[in-house]
Amino acid sequence: MSSNEKTLKPRRSFIDWFLNSNGATSVAVVLLGFLVAIILVALVGKKPGNLLRSLLISMVGQKNNRGVWNFRYVGETLAYSVPFVLTGLTMAFACRVGLFNIGGEGQYVVGMTVAQAFALLVKPFPGMWIACLLLATLCGALWGGLVGVLKAKYQVSEVVATIMLNYVALYGSRLISLNLPGANTYKTGPLPSQALLQKFLIPTSNLNIAFFIMIFACVVYWFIMEKTRLGFGFRATGLNKEAARCSGINVVKNIGLAMAISGAFSGLAGACVLLGGAFTSGRVLSAQDGYGFMGIAVALVGNNTAVGTFIAGILFGILKEAQSIMQTMDIPKEITYIIQGLIVVFIALRSGLELIKQQRAKARVRKEASK
Amino acid sequence: MKKLIVILLVLTVAFSAFAQAQKEAAASTKPTVRLLTDATGIDDKSFNAAAWRGIVDFYGETVENPASKGTLYDVITAASADMYIPNLKNAADQGYDLIIVTGFTWADALGEVAPLYPNQKFMIVDVDWLSGANIRQYIYGEEQGSYLVGVAAAMQAKADGIENPKFGFIGGVPSATITKFEVGYVMGVLSVFPNAEIVDYYANDWGKPELAKAQAKAWYDNGVYCIFSAAGGTGNGTIAQAKEYRMAGKNVWAIGVDSDQYSDGIYEGTKSSVLTSMLKLVENSTLDALQKIEAGAFEGVVVQMDMVDGGVGYSAANPELSDAAKAACEQAKADIISGKIKVYKTYKEALAAGAVPAGLSALDD
Repeated sequence: MSSNEKTLKPRRSFIDWFLNSNGATSVAVVLLGFLVAIILVALVGKKPGNLLRSLLISMVGQKNNRGVWNFRYVGETLAYSVPFVLTGLTMAFACRVGLFNIGGEGQYVVGMTVAQAFALLVKPFPGMWIACLLLATLCGALWGGLVGVLKAKYQVSEVVATIMLNYVALYGSRLISLNLPGANTYKTGPLPSQALLQKFLIPTSNLNIAFFIMIFACVVYWFIMEKTRLGFGFRATGLNKEAARCSGINVVKNIGLAMAISGAFSGLAGACVLLGGAFTSGRVLSAQDGYGFMGIAVALVGNNTAVGTFIAGILFGILKEAQSIMQTMDIPKEITYIIQGLIVVFIALRSGLELIKQQRAKARVRKEASK
Repeated sequence: MKKLIVILLVLTVAFSAFAQAQKEAAASTKPTVRLLTDATGIDDKSFNAAAWRGIVDFYGETVENPASKGTLYDVITAASADMYIPNLKNAADQGYDLIIVTGFTWADALGEVAPLYPNQKFMIVDVDWLSGANIRQYIYGEEQGSYLVGVAAAMQAKADGIENPKFGFIGGVPSATITKFEVGYVMGVLSVFPNAEIVDYYANDWGKPELAKAQAKAWYDNGVYCIFSAAGGTGNGTIAQAKEYRMAGKNVWAIGVDSDQYSDGIYEGTKSSVLTSMLKLVENSTLDALQKIEAGAFEGVVVQMDMVDGGVGYSAANPELSDAAKAACEQAKADIISGKIKVYKTYKEALAAGAVPAGLSALDD
């Protein structure tokens, strides 16, 4: 009897652990997404091995034609992941407070625009990049906070308001950028070197100190959300607004503040992309970059936690860098969007797992009752 | 935790071995080339498509069956602007004989990357302001080709007996390059109808055909006879709308750009809504650059591609294009080559010369 119990116990605990662990289900969902993508690639007659190889190269690099291991690919991957993680934190933060912030893109554009306006209009000084990043963060927070106030005070749907403000941000950015020094129809004058972010570790790539800033942002997110009274209020508001209100939590203030903090991450992302080595001039945007919207998927995959969002952001960075590599191997880059889409769809399986969990709990209770 | 690290290490090692297994470059005397495009890719039926055609032609293959794609030549599409520099470096690291980028939006990125790879040869179209012995730059006289299609549109209206015809122009992202198209087109139209009404619109995007379609519908409903779109993939909306209206029996036209878009406008037999196309033969520059590479005569210079160089022209593929229009185009072509007709490149110059009306949305740099 006792030996029987021993063999049974670990097996059950794995399934229970799996069902209870959001991290494990996320990993399973990601693997499932890749698996389906591999099958799709094989179905259309391309080599799935090439898809995997391009993903690997973007993760570990590749030997170049001079026989030297080239880590630049890894650097590009990590550089791409910075805006993904930051916009992911935007969505995640709002989600934890029960809000749906679709405005990451707009907040990103606002951050980018403010950073380049400051860099181009103010006389360059050492450490200018710090001012650019801070200003972008602040303006992203204001742009998000505006919606928060509208939502909290006047019950304006934050979904509609943020979507609309995305357009206001995009065209407003064009309007402002076209009037910056040296601007023509698609770019402004060159950015001063003091405003650009310092590269590190792999100087041939775009990897720069924004990577550390992004990690710092993750820590800030975790700290506010999990370790402060404010964060407790946020989470309580997210779980049940009315209950939180009854418990004496200032829900109106929380919603406004949460949208502001949420927007701050995306504002920072905009400045990081602009100053992170991919651009030598400011930008006159003609279309959205899409990072804000991808952030929604990143947060979903990362299950709205700091660590999860970080890992999911890196994953999206890998997929982005792999795009240019897989195209050389006759794999269409669109497969990366299919993978991302599949992962987001499969995330819905979480609710399915929730059902299984309930079933199992019920069965267990029944079993114990019949004993 | 320990287990996790061990697993990660094992995976990394396995991955490295896997990633190392690189395919060897095909043993061939032909040069290898990579084309880098913006988000619209080589399916834009226009600019990028033309560059791609030149490459495929060089290897004696067809766009439908690019047999050596992946061994001798390939194409990488960048989904967003922050991918330009990484994509250029990826290409340079993989060692191609020539790397081609299309369009002025790549100029900054190329200016940044080219000095880092002094032995890598690059080529760019529509840019003449970069410096570097490893960059070959091609610049086109689009205003001259656009003048011809303007003449063609106006002569067609005359042949159809339209009274006070109006003409439209749809641009992509406003820039000095697109201004050349607009100025040339307007001058061509006005050379036939000096008082014709001209309307123009910029979609601010190269890949949004729905914007061009909505604008074209509004204009056609308002009596515009012909619309010239110089807007990359966006311009396909104009052609689609002209197609719908011609099928419904309305006498309106679209004009294609860069490539001959006659076949895109076909709605019945040989009937097409694309009256003519302003041909910007980008394929000639990719072909030229590859031939120079093969002959070992590649030089980092600016190459001017005007009408006299076979860089621009018009298409007579549509059988409904009247003989009078064709004759007028040929005459204008000869006059431009001989220098009798001077087509202006900038809105400012053309305005100063009184060749175009004020109030257009064209922008100069």
